[in-house]
Amino acid sequence: MTAASRYDAAVETVVGVAAAHAQATDSAAAFPTDALAAMRSTQLLGLLVPATDGGPGGTLTDLVDVTEALGRVDMSVAMIFAMHCQQVAAIAAYGAEKLRAEVLPAVARGELYLGSVTTEPGKGGHLLTSESGLERAGEMLRVDRQAPIVTGGPHADAFLITTRAPEAGSATQVDLVYAARDQLEIEVTGGWQPLGMRATHSVPMRLRGAVPQWQVIGEHGGFRDIATAVFAPLAHIGWAAAWLGAAAGAYSRVLRHARSEAGRRQFAPSSELVLLRLAEIRIRLDAAHALLRHTVSVVESASDMSASPVQLLLNTLKIRAAEESFAAVHELVELVGLRHGYLTDSPLLVERTFRDLRSASLNYGNDRLRLANGALTLRDPGVRLA
Amino acid sequence: MNNEFTEMLRPFLKFAGNGEISEESRLRDLGLDSMREIELLFAIEDTFGVAVPDDKLVDSTFATAGGLWDVVEELRAPVGGGTR
Repeated sequence: MTAASRYDAAVETVVGVAAAHAQATDSAAAFPTDALAAMRSTQLLGLLVPATDGGPGGTLTDLVDVTEALGRVDMSVAMIFAMHCQQVAAIAAYGAEKLRAEVLPAVARGELYLGSVTTEPGKGGHLLTSESGLERAGEMLRVDRQAPIVTGGPHADAFLITTRAPEAGSATQVDLVYAARDQLEIEVTGGWQPLGMRATHSVPMRLRGAVPQWQVIGEHGGFRDIATAVFAPLAHIGWAAAWLGAAAGAYSRVLRHARSEAGRRQFAPSSELVLLRLAEIRIRLDAAHALLRHTVSVVESASDMSASPVQLLLNTLKIRAAEESFAAVHELVELVGLRHGYLTDSPLLVERTFRDLRSASLNYGNDRLRLANGALTLRDPGVRLA
Repeated sequence: MNNEFTEMLRPFLKFAGNGEISEESRLRDLGLDSMREIELLFAIEDTFGVAVPDDKLVDSTFATAGGLWDVVEELRAPVGGGTR
């Protein structure tokens, strides 16, 4: 358990709202507008805004605590929150003074929800390349970007967009650009009808517009460094927290049910099979949780985020948290059976959690990270475990 | 940088074409990715008879052609008169 924090009241409010609407937003594959409104009004959206920019200066540990708590009731809401925080952290770490002043205090006040545009047709989720160019038009930089999956796209107030840098010679010279909604012409080019994570409302979009030079985050072609230092670590840590929270939430609901009078008749707590299964699930969650917290401490103290042991650990976290969280809820389905494990209207919500967590291994593909880790292991023949 | 080094680099840089590879050339921009980086490492070790120590295997080592050459030069120079 985490110690009581200054964010508890805000989290409790958002959790309450998210839980009340989760079934409806899942069913309709609709964005959780009520939960977002609660994240604005409680200023939870500003969690990672540094104190010097008008925010509470939340830490990586705070991000994990809050995301995990949200994930317990609605994994989509947790993912939306964590990905927004990833954008905020990138601006806080790499944004120029003018951009920070324009954006961060507004985020802290709950006025700006930031979307992320990194996917692109043809490359899938590959983070470090972009085919869409940023073109100079006088003092402005023109963006024309298609993206097959933009989480919360129609609801974001502004976006961080990866594009090919102006005059770039290759698709690996990538910029990260801030664009406010009113600087863009936004076209939703398709629908969103997935198996799970339905409330993330991650539609395909085309974004066209122009932004001034100061809205480029870091230097031209500098996205790779931002990805190494901020984007990838926060993604893997934030996602892992959302997944672990989702699995822990379902597990908790099942345990409470198993201890109730009705549940005791159904589950036979003296059954060794039940006990073994319950234990196995807990082992998975404890292992993933330990890995998550350890990774946070390594990231907080790492002097060079590009060092192989750190990169390997971050990828391992993503891969392992995805696998353990999904395996845990898969075993929960088996444990509770058809009625509570397969039916949408079960109050234990195992079925929805199962669908949501099926996305975890695909959300930046585990296999792609395994390939990266294979190459990284050869960069670390001394096996310096982080 | 000597010619042997730049010509050894070229096949790992898919966007370099026949253009000049200078000390300032940014290897990532020219197409070096994490997979190719390992193959480049092997090529460096074979070509120059050096062993790149683990703590040099960070992104900054592979940032520019000149920076990578400096690392190779440093490893080739006998330290304290000893040889390996």
